[in-house]
Amino acid sequence: MSLKPGIHNFRTKITKILRSQGVLIGLVLIIILASILERSFLTVSNLLNILRQASALGILCLGVTFVMMTGGMDLSVGSTVSLCAVVAVSIMNKYGQGTASNSAALLAIFTVLAIAFFIGVTNGLLIVLFNGRLGETFIITYGMQIVIAALALLFTGGQFIAGTFGTGLYQWMSTGFAPIILFLSLALIMHIVLAYTPFGRQISFIGANMDCARMSGIKVSGIRILVYGICGMCAALTSIIVTSRVYSASPLQGNGYELDAIAAVMVGGTSQTGGTGGIINTILGVLVLGVLGNALNVIGVDANAQLLFRGAIILVAVGLDMWNKSISLKESAK
Amino acid sequence: MRPLSSNPRLPHGFSTFVKQKTSKRETSVEKYILEMRDITKTFPGVKALDKVSFAVKQGEIHGLVGENGAGKSTLMKVLNGVLVPDSGTIVVDGVPVTFRNAKQAQACGISLIYQEFNLVNTLSVAENIYLGFLQTGRAKFIDWTRVRADAAHLLENLGFDFNVREKVQNLSVAEKQLVEIAKALSVNARIIAMDEPTSSITKKEIDKLFSIIRRLKERGITIIYISHKLDEVMAICDSVTVLRDGHIIDTKIATETSSAEIISKMVGRPVDMKYPRRPPIIHDEIVLEVRKVSCAGFVKDISFSLKKGEVLGIAGLVGSGRTELVEAIFGARPLQGGDVYIHGRRTSIRNTADGKRYSMGLVTEDRKETGLALHYSLADNIVITNLQKLCSGIFVNKKLMQANVDQYVQELGIKTPSSRQAVMYLSGGNQQKAVLAKWLFSEVEILILDEPTRGIDVGAKYEIYLLMNDLVKKGKSIIMISSELPEVLGMSDRVIVINEGRKKGELCGDAISPEAVMSMAIQ
Ligand SMILES: Nc1ncnc2c1ncn2[C@@H]1O[C@H](COP(=O)(O)OP(=O)(O)OP(=O)(O)O)[C@@H](O)[C@H]1O
Ligand SMILES: [Mg+2]
Repeated sequence: MSLKPGIHNFRTKITKILRSQGVLIGLVLIIILASILERSFLTVSNLLNILRQASALGILCLGVTFVMMTGGMDLSVGSTVSLCAVVAVSIMNKYGQGTASNSAALLAIFTVLAIAFFIGVTNGLLIVLFNGRLGETFIITYGMQIVIAALALLFTGGQFIAGTFGTGLYQWMSTGFAPIILFLSLALIMHIVLAYTPFGRQISFIGANMDCARMSGIKVSGIRILVYGICGMCAALTSIIVTSRVYSASPLQGNGYELDAIAAVMVGGTSQTGGTGGIINTILGVLVLGVLGNALNVIGVDANAQLLFRGAIILVAVGLDMWNKSISLKESAK
Repeated sequence: MRPLSSNPRLPHGFSTFVKQKTSKRETSVEKYILEMRDITKTFPGVKALDKVSFAVKQGEIHGLVGENGAGKSTLMKVLNGVLVPDSGTIVVDGVPVTFRNAKQAQACGISLIYQEFNLVNTLSVAENIYLGFLQTGRAKFIDWTRVRADAAHLLENLGFDFNVREKVQNLSVAEKQLVEIAKALSVNARIIAMDEPTSSITKKEIDKLFSIIRRLKERGITIIYISHKLDEVMAICDSVTVLRDGHIIDTKIATETSSAEIISKMVGRPVDMKYPRRPPIIHDEIVLEVRKVSCAGFVKDISFSLKKGEVLGIAGLVGSGRTELVEAIFGARPLQGGDVYIHGRRTSIRNTADGKRYSMGLVTEDRKETGLALHYSLADNIVITNLQKLCSGIFVNKKLMQANVDQYVQELGIKTPSSRQAVMYLSGGNQQKAVLAKWLFSEVEILILDEPTRGIDVGAKYEIYLLMNDLVKKGKSIIMISSELPEVLGMSDRVIVINEGRKKGELCGDAISPEAVMSMAIQ
């Protein structure tokens, strides 16, 4: 009737490793495969390149991770990136000529951080007002996404803005190690906050069981509002790095970023129902998608076929998550 | 002695033949409708059942008792197909069976009332009862009129008074339990296992349930009855089996044993069943005063006060507004009128965080929904009420956390392989202890307990009473709601009685008696 204990143990052990380390295994596999297929993949410069490219989206993912840990969702981050991009580059163009570039960069950065924080807090307030669960956070932030996208378009009159500002701090943000250091240090800070401070543990607990969190005397509303604010600020930083790299801004700059971010976070293993996952997961998720994209490029896979792989990886990761959940559900067995 | 009829090797028809023969010859040997033989079930770190053999006679009411974590629920889940045993066989009506899921067990006539409710919150009562068996009309659409009518009919038959369209999330714990009971009775079962069906309902509903059980028995249906309330077990059961640490200790005919004997078998030593005494209150200071509080639409103008070092009981029937009242005081639901004073100062408590700031804590009655984050660890659940207490600098100190958690796990005797175990893997009673531990850990001045001993075994109950005494001795104050009247009466210095949202009276000292309370609670 039951399996032999030896086999059973072995199988559960394998399952356990797969379940907990699936993403890491996937990452290693992709790296091994890519380096076998193409020598130039596993070079320091290429790896740094991957990290540099992944950093911008990575920072956005950090914010989205916080939101998703509370059991919520933020679809407005994409257009928040767009709005921040056009505002930041406009400020730079206006005040950042020649030697004024550095002080203008600070002005631009703090302005867009403030704008994005405000957008996030507005999201949070609306969600709290409706006492929203996952579904409500979805629809409210979707509405916000449309509003902010419209604002970005109105701001530039639908025009693309070319960069005309001087070199300095702003451009430095996307060169060399700067974006990587920014991403990793922010990740470190946010990881410590999430895993080791009361604030972070309360964030996770809200995601695990919001009603219980409320009955445990946690300031659920306040924390949720703040988390959306933090997520907005991450979007602002992303917009700075992206516009710094392309030296221009488009009102459609962040189009689709929200889904890319959510996908990376979920591939990492942070579940959309909240409470499980974390920053380390997200870093892995960002790396998996980043490495995959680069590997396919290096190997020379056609751009359309690349999408196929990308989609497949996301589906596999989500499948893994569901499998994970169904097993733990079975284990709990009512 | 096992009767011949249940020999698993005999084909079905043959066994019936043998059965008839034996029963003619030997009328005193009754038929076992269910036999579970040498059932072993291990979970990581726990041997929940160790070669358990358990037999139930046709048409009897068989009690199953044991301490928290003894393995009662696990045994029933094995019977019900929800859990697959590591080894052992199940024989139903002489036929060996293996169930892979609850549906197969149901098809074989076995139904289980789960200890932890298994209801879909967002669906209506009717939908929950017939979940999986929804009646379809001619065009294969669900025939809602019929489903609702059936559900209403069923509930009426059972004597439960309910709106079948109500969403389950709007029901109280007691009502959820009644839905759970109705659900199990809606299928035509030969064997109905009830895992603590009365843990959160009051005397009135318990009486109804008992008359239902007796009716079922008359119809030849076999009942397995799990409860920590031994007086109930002794009152209704024909025989009682005691389980301890995954082993069967003994099976007794109910009339040939006593509660005391059963308890000593359960715990392994004699247990004092009295309520522990404590010296009278020495403080005169009023810590909490509630003036003309209204909430939830039907709780109106309730006033009372709570002294330092006092245990105040709130008695009343299910649905009388006790839970709503304390939730409003704690800040979990809005006050619709009246004021709450703490240490003589008027407060404006708008949410539970405010309540906690005023050093109040509420042990909620619904551990699954509002008491615990089920897939979080025991440790994480316990410390969430007061993370500040564990901080060195801005970080949570893991060592301090472990030390604190260990202390409460030990004090309350929470049975778990480790404090890192997710609480959903703990037995029901141990989950309840976890909810208590959570608020004991927070060290609040005013502790509100809503059904604190729900599902907790007799030995552990006594420990909890001692703990309560200890708290009040240290100058803390306790408000206790319980559906077990003796508990309220035995533990409280003063009792207020609520009836349909109104305060009907206040009793203290020698005036506290079951008759006095009941007459106020149902007048
Ligand atoms: N799914 C599971 N995973 C791990 N351990 C489990 C699981 N289910 C039960 N256990 C453990 O098995 C033991 C028996 O649990 P069980 O729920 O059967 O106890 P019980 O007798 O019903 O107790 P209670 O009176 O508290 O309900 C407990 O130690 C519990 O922690
Ligand atoms: Mg149990």
